[in-house]
This record gives sequence, C-alpha cells and structure tokens, in this order.
Amino acid sequence: MSFRKVITVLCCLFFTLLCFSQSDSLNSRINASSNISLALNGSIIYPGIRAGIEFPVTMIDLTISTKSKEPKCVIKERFATGNIGWYHHPDFHDNLYLTAEWRMRRTRSVGFFSEFSPGLGYSRTFLGGTTYELNDNGEVKIEKLAGYNYALVTVGGGAGYNFSGKKGIPFSIYARLNMLLMFPYNSTVYPRPAIELGLIYHPDGFLPVKVKKRIKKK
Amino acid sequence: MKYVLLSAIALLVSFTSCQKEVITIGTRVSETFYLDNRGASMRILVEGNTSSKVFILFVHGGPGAGGYIYDSDYIRKNIEDRYAMAYWDSRNAGGSQGSVNGHDLTLGQMADDLKKVIILIKARYGQNCSIFLLGHSFGGLLTSSFMVTGNNQSMVKGWIFADASHNYPLNDSLTQQMLLNTGEQEIALNHNRTQWEEIVAYCNAHTGNFTYEESEQLESYAGEAETYFDEVIEFDIMKLVRENAVRYKWPLSSMLMNYLYTSEAGFNRVLAQTEFSSLLGKVTVPVLVLYGQYDFICPQELGADFYGRIGSTDKKMVISPVSGHSIMLQDEVLFCNEVNNFIDLHK
Repeated sequence: MSFRKVITVLCCLFFTLLCFSQSDSLNSRINASSNISLALNGSIIYPGIRAGIEFPVTMIDLTISTKSKEPKCVIKERFATGNIGWYHHPDFHDNLYLTAEWRMRRTRSVGFFSEFSPGLGYSRTFLGGTTYELNDNGEVKIEKLAGYNYALVTVGGGAGYNFSGKKGIPFSIYARLNMLLMFPYNSTVYPRPAIELGLIYHPDGFLPVKVKKRIKKK
Repeated sequence: MKYVLLSAIALLVSFTSCQKEVITIGTRVSETFYLDNRGASMRILVEGNTSSKVFILFVHGGPGAGGYIYDSDYIRKNIEDRYAMAYWDSRNAGGSQGSVNGHDLTLGQMADDLKKVIILIKARYGQNCSIFLLGHSFGGLLTSSFMVTGNNQSMVKGWIFADASHNYPLNDSLTQQMLLNTGEQEIALNHNRTQWEEIVAYCNAHTGNFTYEESEQLESYAGEAETYFDEVIEFDIMKLVRENAVRYKWPLSSMLMNYLYTSEAGFNRVLAQTEFSSLLGKVTVPVLVLYGQYDFICPQELGADFYGRIGSTDKKMVISPVSGHSIMLQDEVLFCNEVNNFIDLHK
C-alpha cells in the first residue's frame, strides 16, 4: 500500500470518528473540551516522547446503586485521539509515527481511571547509521534520510488518576503499555512494545466538541 | 505555524545526525552502518582494531539468525584487539530492515549482497584492507556460492569455514549417518536411551533422498543430540540474550521476526537441494576449516569433504573435542587462537 493510500485511509477513519460526535444524542448534548496529552514513551531503555489530542465523543455518567453502600458513580468516556510519537533505538532506527486511536476510559468517582485504546497509524523510520547504496559499477553513494514507511496498528491499555474532579487541578497522570505493530516489515510484522508515562491536560474550552451525554442508573 | 515548522526541521536534523558518516580508524572501534540493496537495508557492525586494516567478515548461520549472537566478550578481547570484526546481518535477518522484500530472499541475491558488503568495507576503510570471510553453518553455503562465482575470491585474502555446510543434500546424509551410528552406541551404553531410541528409529525409517520436512526433522534431532554429551561445552542462547540484549542494544523483536520469517521462507526448499562440492576446486585462497567433534548439524565428515575438494594448497582443518555446532561460542580459546594464527600468516 502506498504512503498516500495509508494516509487517506487514516484520515477517513479519524474524521469518521469525529463525525460520530455530531450525530443526535439520546439524552443530552453538551459542549466538552478536548484534552492534550504529553508522555515519555520508550521501550524501557530507549527514549521517546508522545503527544496527542483527545476529542471527546460520548460520555456516560453511570450511577450504580447498591443495597449496602452508597451508590457508585462511574464516568465512561469515549475519545477519538490523534497522536504523534517518536522513539530512538541507537544503531537500529528512530521511529516517527502518527496514530488515530479510539480511546475507552472508565473513571471512578475518586478519580482513578483505566483505559484501553486500539488504533491505526503511519510510521516512518530513519535507520540508525549511515546508509550506503552501490550501483552496478561498484560506486558507493550515501543515502540521505534512509528509512522506511510502514502502516501501523497499535493497541494499548493503562491506568491513571484524574485530579480535576476532587482536587480541581486540570491534569491527569497515567501509565500505559502500548504495542505497536508495524508492517510490512521485511515482508512480516515488527512488534514494538512501549511503556508510556504521561500527563493529560484538561483545559476549558479547548477545541470544544458537542458530545452525547447519557445519564444512566443501574 | 512557525514553531511547528522549526520543530519539524529540528527533528529532521536530529535524524540526519544519526546517519552522518563516521569512519573511525582506531584500536577499539564500534560502529554501525547499513548497506541498502534491492529492498533490504542490511546492518553491518564493525568492531575492534580497524587500524590493522584487517577485517574478518562474519557471515552468520540460519538463514535468518543475524550476527548479534557471535559478538562475544571473548572474541572482543582476543580477536578484536588485533583485527576488526565485521558482523553483517544478511537481508531479512537480525537488525536488517526493509519493506516487502521476501521475493528477493534467494541465495544468489545474498551472494550479491555479500559482494557489495566487501566493496563497501573497502570503500570505507581503504582499498588496501585485507578481508577474510568467516562462514558459519548456512553462512558456509552462502560464502561457497560467493567464492565459486566469477573472480569473487580475489576480493578476499582467506576463507574460514566454521561448522559450515557447502552441500545440503550431503549434509543431510551425513547427519542421518552420525545420528544413527552414535545413537546405536549410546543405546548400547544406556546413555539417554529414550531419546536416542526415538532418533535411531527415525533414522532407520528415513534413509535417503530426504524431503525438506525430513531434512528439518534431522536438523532438529541433530541440535538436540549434542546436548546429550557431558564433554560438550554448553551454549545457552537465552543466557546470551539476557547478558547482551540490553548492553548491546539488540533489537530483539526484529531479530525474532526476521528469524521466524526467513527460517520458514520458501527459498529453504531450494537450499535443501543446493550443493557446491563440484565447484570448490576453483577456490585457491588459503582456507581454515574448523569443526566440532559433536556437531551433528554439520558433521566433521562434511568438513572433510570440503577440505578434500577445495582447490587451495594452503589449507588447514582443526576439530574441537569439546564443541558442537557453535565452535566460536563453545570452544572460544581454540577458535580465537586458530583464527588469529591463520590471519597472522595470510594477512
């Protein structure tokens, strides 16, 4: 698949996800701000960073009543996210990648949350050393910005704490384990696990999106 | 917008800096570069004494195994202090990278890659460099293919053939015979009786004209067989990974996926029928042949066939009494001494 096709497919997917947020709501529609995330993102010893924007799509305010205790409140959110990441593996490659992910987050009333996010993306690697090409006459030439374009599938899950509810600080912290699968890598797949430790900033009124909000009781 | 543009430029500059050409002439060099040829970017790690102008080009086994595992501390201390080692990951192996390139995974293409690796090393470190080829296991078939083609042998000063194969059909027959003969002796001595009975039964049922699947099964039994002898120095690949993967920045998942893909690729069926015995008479460069006494994968009789057929008059064969299929890791002292002596004589 050519680079242009990969980008077209990713854009279609991303904007389709955004369009969902514009459809009719069941209960109410609210204006919700988008979030900004920034994280350290590496494979234990290899450094990297990742930044992204979370566009809210739906929000379900779920109250679960129990007989013995007070009702439990859980917020289930869905986001369409756009991310840019990079890691550096010395002598092997640097990888710059873009992903569009569907993020499912479940936040308890105390602020702890867990999340899961599958996604698709595009990766461009830069080989970790001078790269040479030889022509048939044996003449050696250095190849500039040598590397490869790959399609990318990512799946990740993690947990964090949202300070904005109880403490009024518009930040969350989180840890997530991501698996990047790049292909076609030497006619097969290249799996790359990555640990992400980051911050999510929840500003007011940043790229506001109308989202469906449902209030459910169980 | 200005900041986005500046950030993008800064990122591109940082990627380019990793790819800036650095050529070090020194006694303790470690540098990685890549050769891009027909859809594959192949990693070459040069370590050791590049000021010696002597390079031992390591052609790994597998196919698909990559060069990382051979770069041991002992070789670093006992060969790389005198000469430079060049560990080449062939296409679809180790840290080599690419896109859709499986169709070029052929022995002929790999021999062409090898020729270009030699040209590249000379272009980087000087045309007056002496190159010695060192083929292990499948690397023997690949170096054989290279050495018997045209005038390729003039590009190297010598050829080291370590637990290697130049003739896969003969290799299968010799492995079957060695497993059968040794198995019967071991059963009589009541050593690992259960395991040997299974192997002997298989060898009695499969006696020649081996299919690819039979060849695979024989290789699997051969790999196990050397572990049944206390005399053999144990070689634990997982220990190597634990000790070196982080320290030397191994791209483990690339190594694994490349190995899984290449070791199962269709060209292995072609390799199973490939032999260079009849062409070895063309080779006249000095040759060192190293085998392990307990190597069932490439039995020493295979080395004897190679030694007998090679056209070189300057040749030597050494058998390690404590080694199986990986002499460079199982009998490091003998390996390094023999390699150093051979190169001292012929550089």
